[in-house]
Amino acid sequence: MALNYLASISRYVPELLSVVIMVGLIFIEACYDREEKKKPFFYLAAFFGLTFVFVNLAADLSKPATMIFTGSMTIDPFSTLSKMLMVLGTMGAIYLSKESKDIYDNLKSEFAIMAVGVMIGGMILASANNLLMVYIGIETLSILSYALASFKKNEERSSEAGLKYSLYGGISSGIMLFGMSHIFGVFGSIQFADIIAGLNGLSTAQLAVLLPSFIMFFAGIGYKIACVPFHMWAPDVYEGSPLPVTTFFSIVPKVAGLAILLRVTMTFFGQEGALQVTWVGALSVISALTMTVGNVSAIGQRSVKRMLAYSSISHAGMMMMGVVVINELGTRSILFYAITYLFMTLVAFYVTSFVADKYGNDHFERFSGLIKRYPLMAIMMTVVMFSLAGMPPLSGFVAKFNILGALLSEKHYMLALIAVLNSVVSLYYYMKIIRLMVLKDVESMEPIIGFGVMNQSIILVLTVPVLALGLFWSGIMRLTEGASIFLGP
Amino acid sequence: MNGHSNLLNWILWMPMIGVLVVLLLPRNKEGVIRYTALINSIITFALSIVLYMKFDPTTPGMQEYFKVLHPWISQFNINYSLGVDGISLPMIVLTSLLCVLCVLCSWTISKSVKAYFALFLFLQSTVFGVFMSLDFFLFYVYWEVMLIPMFFLIGIWGGENREYAAVKFFLYTFFGSVLMLVGMVALYFVSADNPSIGQNTFDILALSGGKFTDLSLRIFGVDISFAKFFFVMMFIGFAIKVPVFPFHTWLPHAHVQAPTAISVILAGVLLKMGTYGFLRIAFPIFPQASVYFADAIAWLGLINVVYGALCAMAQTDVKKLIAYSSVSHMGFVMLGLAAMTVQGMNGAVLQMFNHGTSTAMMFLLVGILYERSHHRWIVRPDGTKGYGGLYTQLPKYSIVFIIAMFASMGLPGLSGFISEALIFLGIYQKYTTITVIALLGLLIGAAYLLWMFKRMFFGEVLDDCKSYTDMNAREIFYMSPLIIAVIVFGIYPSPILDVMKVSVGNLVSLLAKFN
Repeated sequence: MALNYLASISRYVPELLSVVIMVGLIFIEACYDREEKKKPFFYLAAFFGLTFVFVNLAADLSKPATMIFTGSMTIDPFSTLSKMLMVLGTMGAIYLSKESKDIYDNLKSEFAIMAVGVMIGGMILASANNLLMVYIGIETLSILSYALASFKKNEERSSEAGLKYSLYGGISSGIMLFGMSHIFGVFGSIQFADIIAGLNGLSTAQLAVLLPSFIMFFAGIGYKIACVPFHMWAPDVYEGSPLPVTTFFSIVPKVAGLAILLRVTMTFFGQEGALQVTWVGALSVISALTMTVGNVSAIGQRSVKRMLAYSSISHAGMMMMGVVVINELGTRSILFYAITYLFMTLVAFYVTSFVADKYGNDHFERFSGLIKRYPLMAIMMTVVMFSLAGMPPLSGFVAKFNILGALLSEKHYMLALIAVLNSVVSLYYYMKIIRLMVLKDVESMEPIIGFGVMNQSIILVLTVPVLALGLFWSGIMRLTEGASIFLGP
Repeated sequence: MNGHSNLLNWILWMPMIGVLVVLLLPRNKEGVIRYTALINSIITFALSIVLYMKFDPTTPGMQEYFKVLHPWISQFNINYSLGVDGISLPMIVLTSLLCVLCVLCSWTISKSVKAYFALFLFLQSTVFGVFMSLDFFLFYVYWEVMLIPMFFLIGIWGGENREYAAVKFFLYTFFGSVLMLVGMVALYFVSADNPSIGQNTFDILALSGGKFTDLSLRIFGVDISFAKFFFVMMFIGFAIKVPVFPFHTWLPHAHVQAPTAISVILAGVLLKMGTYGFLRIAFPIFPQASVYFADAIAWLGLINVVYGALCAMAQTDVKKLIAYSSVSHMGFVMLGLAAMTVQGMNGAVLQMFNHGTSTAMMFLLVGILYERSHHRWIVRPDGTKGYGGLYTQLPKYSIVFIIAMFASMGLPGLSGFISEALIFLGIYQKYTTITVIALLGLLIGAAYLLWMFKRMFFGEVLDDCKSYTDMNAREIFYMSPLIIAVIVFGIYPSPILDVMKVSVGNLVSLLAKFN
């Protein structure tokens, strides 16, 4: 049932609120003096506003799923949960940008504004239920991201990152638009519901002709998730962007991209048939490649940031494996994975950022002997690294276990094997940091300014879910179980 | 016996209580920390003795009296479920005994004492977890968590090349266990289709009994037997731990680099986790595949015996020699398992216990010597002797060394003999050739041990060796339980054989059904 416009707006509050926050932040920013560095009210407003959005979304979680705006968007627990993750990720990145030295002082507030903008794009994408909304979502997400990538204006690498990102982005959205227009041409509608209805009436030969347009459609989404072979931009962008931006990129666009990929897969390819077999086959290969390429590239990195960026590609590949199975278990495992991944990534990037700020670079050696200087931080980082590699009893393991469960419930034995072998590879490079932090001697005892009491407590709080969700995950399972995708009335 | 007991919970969590206490103590109170760890491990040992006393050797399978069962993750039907039978009981007792001795022999550790004992007690708890778990998921969690304290214990307190050894150990074992993980999850999803189980479960006992013999799975369009495929996966997982021949390369590094106490735990307990995995999981769940692969296991076991012994013979580092002798001795366990006869299996489990005591003795003795000499060369790289005439210099030490050496060689009257004899009795019924070659391995075993003894203990007393002092009271104290164990169980093995007989017999009869 599609709600009428007024009723639709009542379910659209979080997005509208986010827009209000974004505009409000621009105003607050304008009120500050040019030389003002701290801008306390700006951040207060940003965090307060985003928390409000989060609470709003959380309240929305228990409401029934529905289509709004004549069926162009779906508000279901799945999209709401994805949006909650995006809001959390945005808050995490904004806080990091406030503390980080990697981002110019006078651009910090701009980062926050743009991040909220990207988040709005992601929210639209997570709810999109017709081709146009998908396109609008992806473009909103992308255009602001191009600006974010080139944030270090004085550095060549950052401008290069921005340019590359926008070029690749432009091409892939062009391809996607082409695929969409073909789909529209065949079905005469941009609504997902009409397309599904049309799909059922097609013969196998017609489907075979249509499949390339779906693949083109996928190019746009795959580009956002940075899956192989659309990942070429990722290393340069991750490297060139300031660290808070990299943190942001490895969370929000990924969650948004996965959400829409999952929705598209579940709606269009939910029924068994030739189309599903091909799509699943393609996704299996792509997810396996994404994982492997991300992991293998991460091994040789000297910079921790690059390593984390590559590993985020491989984690996206892991989450894509949950899409392959096209069932409830897959959806739930992806959500679980995204939740734990959010916390793990934030902690890893926070620690890396503060260490990098101290030394001006984030090479692995900078972590040497961290346990002697900041035992708590080193332990938290160790926990997170083990968790990212999938060691029990940490939440990363449970997330991997869920994905494996989803894969094996549909008897994808080969994919399951590839997934676990990849986690062995990933353990190698995650362990490199642990080894340096714990086993090596300390380089210098100079204090790291970033590790103030406040930041340490925040890192500690962010690590708690990593530990707790590894042991007591019944509750979260119930949450993700409820968050299934609404396929229509 | 009626009623119910939480004894297993107590044994499992007692070391964790110790971890908490140690963590709460201030870092500079090293003496208090040491005594806390010691008292804690003694209490755990006492509890395991109580467990042994209350254990009813006539009941086959898991003893109802000790079972612990709490739901953990209801969505996946995962339970916190513990139990004990005749196969795990000797391992639990062995672990708690060795841990007391290891705490004593770690008395001289001076680097970050607090972290060391916290990690050590944590390790002890996870090892108990592996031996007690009846839920596959719980088993896997403990199996993996165990790597974390081990990694740090080798990596921080080990020898010069400790980092490499720790990382290699970690990656190898992790590789094996993720293969097991796939098998575990796959079993969970096929278990519901099985009429005799009827629901998705991780319960090891429910999965056991050869219920998956007819299933097949499809990889790249080829149908493979489900049981065989996942038996191989799990075999690799457990074989890395044992370690079985092609997967053994982590062992010499880890053993040599680890501090003495950790080598003892590694050789005495952790290697047994691999063979325990066969006995508890791989064999009962896939009996048909086990029988199918028995020949291969036997040959791999044989390679272990002979290859391990030959490698040991070539070593000039005494600790590495002992490490390779472990490879060889674990080969006997594999042979006993492959025999799948009553004698062979009993021998294998007994050998697991006996190797635990004898190899622990050897490692402890090497550790004692190392504390005096700060090197471990039998022959130094430049060709000169590392030790000489220790017999005259260290008489008490030498006597203990002789007992340990003969026990590990399998001399009649000492513990190793009985288990090896049982294994040979078992294996001879099935594999005559292998038995004959394995006996040759036994001979090489005697050769390298005696040759080592000759080079180190006889001859002129080297100048370096003149400053060495004989074993002190603490060292004699922690060696004595092991000396008693190898002698008593060499003459009278019934205390162990009796408790495991029924459980082992159960497994053998299950396997016999598929033979």
